[in-house]
Amino acid sequence: MASQKRKMHQYLRAAIQIYFFIFFSHTFTAAFGGVKYIASQVGAGEKIEWTAFVALLAGLCGFTIVFGRFFCGFACAFGSLGDGLHALYRWICKKCRKKPVRFPEKLCGGLSSVKYLVLAAIVAFCFFGVYASMRGSSPWDVFSMLHAGDLRLRGYIPGLVSLVLILAGMCVQERFFCRFLCPMGAVFSLLPVLPFFSLRRDRGACLAKCSGCTRKCPSDISLPEDGSCETPGDCFQCQKCIHICPRENIHCGWQEIRGNGVVFTLLRAGLLLGLYIWMGA
Amino acid sequence: MDGFVVKTVSLLAILGVLSGYDLVLEDREREETLAQLSAQVEAMEGYIQDSQKAAAGGVREDGEDGLYGDGEWEGKAQGFGGEIVLKVTVKEGVIADISIISAAKEDEAYLSMAETMLPAIMEAQSAEVDTVTGATFSSTGIKNAAAQALEKAER
Repeated sequence: MASQKRKMHQYLRAAIQIYFFIFFSHTFTAAFGGVKYIASQVGAGEKIEWTAFVALLAGLCGFTIVFGRFFCGFACAFGSLGDGLHALYRWICKKCRKKPVRFPEKLCGGLSSVKYLVLAAIVAFCFFGVYASMRGSSPWDVFSMLHAGDLRLRGYIPGLVSLVLILAGMCVQERFFCRFLCPMGAVFSLLPVLPFFSLRRDRGACLAKCSGCTRKCPSDISLPEDGSCETPGDCFQCQKCIHICPRENIHCGWQEIRGNGVVFTLLRAGLLLGLYIWMGA
Repeated sequence: MDGFVVKTVSLLAILGVLSGYDLVLEDREREETLAQLSAQVEAMEGYIQDSQKAAAGGVREDGEDGLYGDGEWEGKAQGFGGEIVLKVTVKEGVIADISIISAAKEDEAYLSMAETMLPAIMEAQSAEVDTVTGATFSSTGIKNAAAQALEKAER
């Protein structure tokens, strides 16, 4: 029964991810375009206008402050691509009866800070006006071109190479890009997430020495206690911890909501969709 | 608890700095338009005086020929997902209007960013303007399409 429920939640998440992947694949680059736009305008001493990019950036940041990184877990095309590849890799390993390779946990902890460097570097490049001359080096550009069926990739070799490396990383480590490299993720994880809908646990009610949720977590997070205001910035709202907990001990800060309910998930996806349409994305 | 407070304070600080920055620039912009307008008024007064003198002297200067031939000119170029077609209207030798005729395969957000180049092209009276950061494909498309149209219009 419990596993049936878990399956249904997995299918629901996959369906939402595929929907956003097909119809809103460009939102993560557009929102990050807002960051690049602000940095270049300030660097050039120009005014920051309320453009479509800035609106989308503000909208997604607002959404993240309320609901956590639901966008990352359910709606980001690049995140979904990673989930798909990782699932494929695990499936192949299972068929070939090989043990899947994993990054050591310590290394992962260190690599998590690299995304802040990526963000700082891109912001600096935009600020000093050299970003435009680095055309062809962004793996996101190459991904957008491939997604749009555009194969004129000459001049995009550095971007293509880094995309291939990232895809390889995505296979081995769940949420490899999101956790280690994503500059948009760096912005999101620096946002103060309100405690109402981010996940908490009552550690006192756990099974002794159980660490199921941390081991299942793509970011190896030990969830904060009930009543805490702390928000783990690397939580993608993938909800895997809620499913795995044998005591059903994980819930939102607002304890009446568990955080993986079908209605609540659909509500958040619908709100995000409404936000996109409103922003004209 | 501490993390939440630190993040909130830094977010508010960033928002505060950015909106302060924008306010200062808005102020400066207003002053600049004022200066520009008064310069224009002066220039027009001078022009009126000149033409009065010219009328009295019976000499008329010929209007300078513009760079481009009058008419409507179309240009096409590859944008992000497909072709961007735009129309340049030239009146009395100057670019009077640019409009996008079709850009079916462009994403709305990117296209609206890239469209900010149209006034810039009109101001520069040339397609040699900077592309928009973050919307490189769409804006390069617009730039190239405008260049093609203006090439046709050149005389």
